[in-house]
Amino acid sequence: MATYIFRRLLLSIPVLFGILFATFALARLIPSDPCRAMLGEKATDAVCNEFIKRHGLDQPILTQFGVYMGEVLKGDFGKSFRFSLPVTEIIIQRLPTTVELAFSALVLSIIIGVSLGVISAVRHNSWADVVTMLWANIGVSMPVFWLGLMLAYIFSLTLKGTPFQLPPSGRLSAGLIPSPFYEAWNLHLTQGTFVFIAAEFISRMNIFNSILAGDYKTFKDAVQHMILPALALSTISTALIARMTRSSMLEVLGQDYIRTARAKGLKQRAVVMKHAFRNALLPIVTVIGLSLGGLLGGAVLTETVFNLAGVGRILYEAITARDYGIVQAFTVVIAVFFVVLNLLVDISYAYLDPRIRLN
Amino acid sequence: MKRNLHVLLSLLVLASMVLAACGGGAETEPPAVATEPAAPEATEPAATEPPAPHFSGIAVVTFVQQPTTLSPLYQNQWFSSITTQLWLKGLWSFDSDNNPVLEIAAELPTTENGGMSADGMTLTINLRDDVLWSDGEPVTANDFVFTYEMFVSDKNVVNSTYPYADYVTSMEAPDDHTLVVNFNAPFAAWLTTLFNTGVLPEHVLRPVFEAEGTLDNAAWNTAPTVGVGPFVFKEWETDSHMIFEANPNWIHPAKLQQVFIRMADDAAQEVAILAGDTDIATFLDWSQADAINSSGKAKFVTQPSGYDEGWFLNFNPETAHPAMLDVNVRKAIVMATNREKIVNDLLGGLTTVPATFWDSTPPYGNPDISPYPYDAEEAGSLLDVAGWKDSNGDGTRDKDGVELVLRYISNQRQLRKDVQAVVQQMWAQAGIGVELVNYGDDFFNSYADGGPIATGNYDIAEWSDVTSFPDPEQSSYWLCSQVVGPDNPDGGNWQSYCNPELDALFDQQATETDPEARKQLYYQIGQIMFDNVVWVGMWKDPDLWAVSNRLQGVKFSGASPFWNAREWFINE
Repeated sequence: MATYIFRRLLLSIPVLFGILFATFALARLIPSDPCRAMLGEKATDAVCNEFIKRHGLDQPILTQFGVYMGEVLKGDFGKSFRFSLPVTEIIIQRLPTTVELAFSALVLSIIIGVSLGVISAVRHNSWADVVTMLWANIGVSMPVFWLGLMLAYIFSLTLKGTPFQLPPSGRLSAGLIPSPFYEAWNLHLTQGTFVFIAAEFISRMNIFNSILAGDYKTFKDAVQHMILPALALSTISTALIARMTRSSMLEVLGQDYIRTARAKGLKQRAVVMKHAFRNALLPIVTVIGLSLGGLLGGAVLTETVFNLAGVGRILYEAITARDYGIVQAFTVVIAVFFVVLNLLVDISYAYLDPRIRLN
Repeated sequence: MKRNLHVLLSLLVLASMVLAACGGGAETEPPAVATEPAAPEATEPAATEPPAPHFSGIAVVTFVQQPTTLSPLYQNQWFSSITTQLWLKGLWSFDSDNNPVLEIAAELPTTENGGMSADGMTLTINLRDDVLWSDGEPVTANDFVFTYEMFVSDKNVVNSTYPYADYVTSMEAPDDHTLVVNFNAPFAAWLTTLFNTGVLPEHVLRPVFEAEGTLDNAAWNTAPTVGVGPFVFKEWETDSHMIFEANPNWIHPAKLQQVFIRMADDAAQEVAILAGDTDIATFLDWSQADAINSSGKAKFVTQPSGYDEGWFLNFNPETAHPAMLDVNVRKAIVMATNREKIVNDLLGGLTTVPATFWDSTPPYGNPDISPYPYDAEEAGSLLDVAGWKDSNGDGTRDKDGVELVLRYISNQRQLRKDVQAVVQQMWAQAGIGVELVNYGDDFFNSYADGGPIATGNYDIAEWSDVTSFPDPEQSSYWLCSQVVGPDNPDGGNWQSYCNPELDALFDQQATETDPEARKQLYYQIGQIMFDNVVWVGMWKDPDLWAVSNRLQGVKFSGASPFWNAREWFINE
């Protein structure tokens, strides 16, 4: 297993390199003027020449790429033209929001999707099956931005004043500034170190940070703010997981060994959960893995509707503003997520089905 | 193991949801640290040791667009510029009625107090000696000179060098609290343009400029931790929020503890207003007024900012309908249009009809002029006198074989399309035909692309336009020298209107440094344009705001909306 993982990680290096080079080259080959995209149409030629020289944009693409790779290997993704900030800092600022949103949505998708899929399969052709699959079809085809707005209207306005009222936007209420967990733990971390960056990254995931810091008030506020965006974002993946669970379970429930299990007099619960569900998990896990990738990359509409400053929005804006540093770094980060997720899905196959030998 | 993990995660999320549901609605309200029922006026301290200011409450402001920068050098967007009133004051601000309010200046320079030289070429401004930057450093005249230098430096790609490069020959600081500005000609707009976007901290930014050769990439542009205003910048998480905390060093301490600016799109903003989740919101639409006012959470507020929706008429004899060149026809067109009804029916009666282009730029609108009234009968008489009669019985007036059918254009905004449809019906009753056309915004104004306005492919064009608010200047729209054409593609006069008498008055006001005398000149300009029906006001088009009922003391201004932010307070 360890050899397999090591080999897969090694193989992912040329994949990431290729993605980085393609992104790097494409961004520069698109006809555009990064200077005027950044400084405006009024920027004079002299100012633009200075800008291009300062950022090394007058060098051949391969030379620029070589310099950039050297910096990346040292952990430096460069500086954003637009924000005049190190890209690493922007990643630490933005990525936790998207990661937290995507994982929250995934957890909801798994809980709701798998449950509905199992119920639907077990009660095949019943009204519960019809309703669940109808709901799944609607879920797949429902635009996220529309659903987001509807949820906001319902939970913020219609249910205002009830215990189910939820905030329509943002990550935390105004005035609530959470303390990083490492401060609550009295850890004195040195700025700029890997440990500090990792701790800072974790501390910006408000729910996780508040659990670690034991800050109940922030935890409650962060969860309240996360419920609606996570619900909106999870709809499509929930529907997909529900449909996949249903079809996979139906296939397994029709197998001879399930009939044998029933003939042995096992209770329905044991037949479904112990014998059928585990054997139906393989395609479900695949869908879950792909869903997480999609949730990470596709959160832009949800982030916009619910005013969450995540990866999707900044990547879109960076592309339009020709902010190369951000485009490259975030593309690589998203690619890394996909590579790691695929690896985890493959590893889980061996765990779920002992007949599969990864080596 | 994996199953256990799933169970654990499921329980965690379920518990979170239960906790959220149990939290109740009150927690989602913007928290106020304390309430302040009454807002006492700032008074001079009686003791030698002033009491420590007390700040309380958080105001939540929603922006539907992300500011691009905070530095006054680079601001090219309204949302960037309005934040400066919170944290970066200049010499003076402007109140709700467009009157100057002293900030860092000790007094307004006039000819009488010696601040303005007799020839209008030199301005001497005395500064307060008790103003500190938020880091405790004193604000001096050198900060203003430095700001001027940064605006005109060719090392900085600033948004605009106006008025410094065009009108200022030099700026000096003879002492820490005296600023001398020398002009190359008497400059009428000095009051509304000099340092209207704030002053730069020389002690913070000069070292940056000297080290990097430019301020284009200064960290201060997006994280101005040193400022001079009632609040001081604390945090900006792009696309998410900005935080400004009360500045204890400001001469007039704020009442609030914090202003929290949240970025949101239009839909999220509307939900936030109706849910009472925001205290101030803007970039609203007239159609939102009812919902906001009836929500019980907020009120809809309008504030003039120089904008008026109006008709720009084509006077070019080569491209305009011949009837447009007759002042009686133009007058008849206006009188055949029931603008009051349009305002009442389509804008909820929330605004009024302006008589002149300067009615929304006080005090430059001539108070003696009232809009032409709706009078269909009189409109018909005027058209009859002008020779436009329905001779062929087709329902539309004509003259010399030319039908009175006017080309009335606008952009794709739905409200304008609705107005066009209503006007079409009104004019039909007066025998005026109309061809309605709507263009995309990009094409609408462009001369280079052959856009309809600049090339004269219209008779009446409708859009909302503005003076150089709070300054009344906008003469390029009507100066003879600005008539657009192949030899002057950048000309600002798309109407091709040319009136030497008007030109002379516009030239005169540009160098009239006495505000009262300048106002009188604008009264004359307004009268001439009104008599000749050069521009037709449809409705005053103010800034639209929503203010929550819990935030008190808010007075907006068209020039500097947050000018009185120090007076805001929370009253639950």
